[in-house]
Amino acid sequence: MQASVNRTSPYRLLAILLLIALSVLFLFPMYWIITGSVKSIQAVNAATPVWFPLEPTMDNYARLFDRPALMWLWNTILICTMSMLLTCTTASLAGYALAKKNFIGRGIIFAIFISAMALPKQVILIPLLKEMSFLRLHDTPWAVILPTVGWPFGVFLMKQFSENIPGSILEAARIDGAGEVITFTQVVLPIIKPGIGALAIFTFITTWNDYFMQLIMLNSQSKLTISLGIAKLQTEMSNDFGLIMAGAALSAIPITVVFLMFQKFFTRGITMGAVKG
Amino acid sequence: MTSAIEAGTTPDIIMEGPERLVANWGAKGKMIDLSDLWTEEAKADIDANSTAVGKASMGSDGKYYEYPLAMTTHTMAINYEVFEKADALQYLDLENRTWTTENFQKAMQALKDDGVAVTGIVYCGGQGGDQGTRALAMNLFSASFTNPEHTLYTMDSEAGIKGLQLLADMVKDGLLEADAGIAAGDELQLFANGTAQMTWAWNASNAANYAASVTFTPYAMAFPSDDGVPELAGGIWGFGIFDNKDEAKVAAAKKFIKFVSDDSVQGPASVYATGFFPVRASFGDIYAGTEKDANKEFLIFMPYLGDYYNVTPNWAVQRTEWWNLLQRIFAGEDVQTAVATYANNVNIK
Amino acid sequence: MQITPSMAARKRMRRENLIGYAYMMPAILFFLSFVIFPMGMALVTSFTDYSMDSFNFIGLSNYRRMLQDRVFGKAMGNTILIVLVSVPAVTLFSLWVASLVYKMNKHASSFFRVVFYMPIVTGTVAVTVVWKWMFSRYNGLLNYVLNSIGLINGNISWLGDEAYAIWCIILILFTTSIGQPIVLYISALANVDQSLVEASEVDGANNFQLFWKIKWPQIMNTTLYILVITTINSFQIFALIQLLTSGGPNNATNTIMYNIYYHAFKLNEYGYGNAMGIILAIVIGVFSMIQFKLARSDKE
Repeated sequence: MQASVNRTSPYRLLAILLLIALSVLFLFPMYWIITGSVKSIQAVNAATPVWFPLEPTMDNYARLFDRPALMWLWNTILICTMSMLLTCTTASLAGYALAKKNFIGRGIIFAIFISAMALPKQVILIPLLKEMSFLRLHDTPWAVILPTVGWPFGVFLMKQFSENIPGSILEAARIDGAGEVITFTQVVLPIIKPGIGALAIFTFITTWNDYFMQLIMLNSQSKLTISLGIAKLQTEMSNDFGLIMAGAALSAIPITVVFLMFQKFFTRGITMGAVKG
Repeated sequence: MTSAIEAGTTPDIIMEGPERLVANWGAKGKMIDLSDLWTEEAKADIDANSTAVGKASMGSDGKYYEYPLAMTTHTMAINYEVFEKADALQYLDLENRTWTTENFQKAMQALKDDGVAVTGIVYCGGQGGDQGTRALAMNLFSASFTNPEHTLYTMDSEAGIKGLQLLADMVKDGLLEADAGIAAGDELQLFANGTAQMTWAWNASNAANYAASVTFTPYAMAFPSDDGVPELAGGIWGFGIFDNKDEAKVAAAKKFIKFVSDDSVQGPASVYATGFFPVRASFGDIYAGTEKDANKEFLIFMPYLGDYYNVTPNWAVQRTEWWNLLQRIFAGEDVQTAVATYANNVNIK
Repeated sequence: MQITPSMAARKRMRRENLIGYAYMMPAILFFLSFVIFPMGMALVTSFTDYSMDSFNFIGLSNYRRMLQDRVFGKAMGNTILIVLVSVPAVTLFSLWVASLVYKMNKHASSFFRVVFYMPIVTGTVAVTVVWKWMFSRYNGLLNYVLNSIGLINGNISWLGDEAYAIWCIILILFTTSIGQPIVLYISALANVDQSLVEASEVDGANNFQLFWKIKWPQIMNTTLYILVITTINSFQIFALIQLLTSGGPNNATNTIMYNIYYHAFKLNEYGYGNAMGIILAIVIGVFSMIQFKLARSDKE
């Protein structure tokens, strides 16, 4: 500890000042979204920027809610939550089996999962679209959810976590006469819980930001996600920044609040996801 | 829409323009033949307004894939007060809403002399609104965008090159601006907030949409042309039926379209809802005495509707290449070379 | 080890197999249906002229067409430029930030983590549209600020100028990419074996030596992970392009992903789009392999 206090060199001081300046720049877009969303048309378009809206207006929000914006938000939350739940379920089952069960073909299956991870997801979007329409799922939330769940990253992550389960505990459970269901729910799950948390957060955020998939799979105005909704506020014949900022705020604020509340879990989740990986 | 068609989840009835219904989906066999809706009466009524509409609704196989409801012309608009202040209105034919190429240049000079920073912006950032930039470049020297058979794009003609060259020169001289960073939507916003004094992407619906947010008079004008006779791009909206292999549904859909478009009460009401103008001459001025009364400002432009060249093959490629053409020209590439590349890229050999 | 397993053992093995596959079943089902099957389809259709109205095998024509397609070449060049600039920039910058932040107290360190992670949480689309506004030529913040401090004179069309557009894109990509690497590096640095650090401090190693000799090898795995995910993300850049430039001006910001989208969904050339996707997958695979190789040799 002492050593690090002593090391507060001029370089470090300068660097920290620079870091603080950069933080301001990184927080600025959020500030500009929120203030922009309550600016009047004149203020939004002013050549001299209006740094703070002294006469805030709810006009932009009124226009935003002329559209099914809350529906978009709901669709997004539905898609992200379902993807998260399904991914966590399938991945924790498979991850546990890959780590702790001996079955024929285990090595091969894991290798295939791993190599699929390196491929760009978007490459398969066109056939996926065809497949979804064949299944009559196109333009429904499932068209986004199912491919997300299929993605192998979760299985890989949960396998890494399941490696940590001590064999002795599993053995003890077996001797106690616990069946597979009991063993998994009472013994395995508590141990890999942090991993599931990490995967849940990771899946939620990547699904939230998977704009391309949403763009291809969803069409109807009432089926859009919030990201798509904002993108479509920019039309051929208008580019109303106030309205768009209101949309951006609606999309950003709820998830930011959740993020700030569970910040610790978020960062822990991201870290665990990778360091294990 | 593309992904819906690909997915097979298309609706039965769709309202679109001929460039999609006829030239794209119709040509690919995705649409139902609507020839039986085109009765003698309907055809005569529509032709009385504009023969371009009927021509555009028919595929190259002679079948009608669209039953049109409404039309509009795409115009440009100027900031009336700014032009007035700069004493530039003298260069406009206010009665016919037209101006010559020469007068257009003079008007721009007048605005500049009056201290206007940005006269108009030739947007070329992609997305929509390309018809405005096309009409601008074509009309300056009365070039045709395609051949009459709609098989070749012809902006590499002498008149086409001259028009594009003039735009490039005017930008160089500061009489206009060009910007690959903005699209039509941005340009309209800049016009509406007074930054730019003209827009190339005007029409009745934009006039209505922006009416509340402008503090000046947006004055619709035809595009400047050397002979003073403008040829405007049009929009035609009508119905098509996707071939979802269900005859009962098709029959029902046809009945519905007939009612929505032709019924003496519902027809005008449908057109009214679009904010555009009836393709049927018999409907007359549907906006007289309504809250959209301002729309009649655009009636004067209907006779200027030009050839509906949007049905030319390779249209989607052409749209992108058009933006690239403008981007190259305003980035300083020689116009002749740029146009040659464009023609080479868009014309199917 | 038995030479011939007893009946009981064989039965147990069969049971193990059964149970193993029962656990795997849901994941395998999803994986086969929504990853492997479409992947196979993508490969197969890349040899066809698959579009709205045709589906014929045309051999390698799509791949040959790609070689002559100048826009594809430009898109590939742009994509590789984006990767080559953004991957090192993201990695080095996040390492720098992390090296400053990891020694701070809990509150300060979590503050900075939150700040740099913010653009990801805000959402790509929301961040992109606000940048579009800030880059705007006539009423954008950037021109105003740069003009006020005298760095530029007159308004620049940031996204409309071939010289600047791609750098603007890279900048936005950068701000939305560093959140995760910073968090990862902070925890990696905090986990560096302190006894080794102290030992070398006793030996009189300076900060620089300390970092490269002791810490760098220990965070190698994290670095490798960051390199790979940043590479994959940069290769797949799409939303920024679609929302800001449509690939323009004059294809200066066209990328492979945008080009695939354009051909597949604007021109309905699915076969050609799939072929480009296959090539992209191969390129990404090669890049990832190179990174693995480099990291491995660095470790030894």
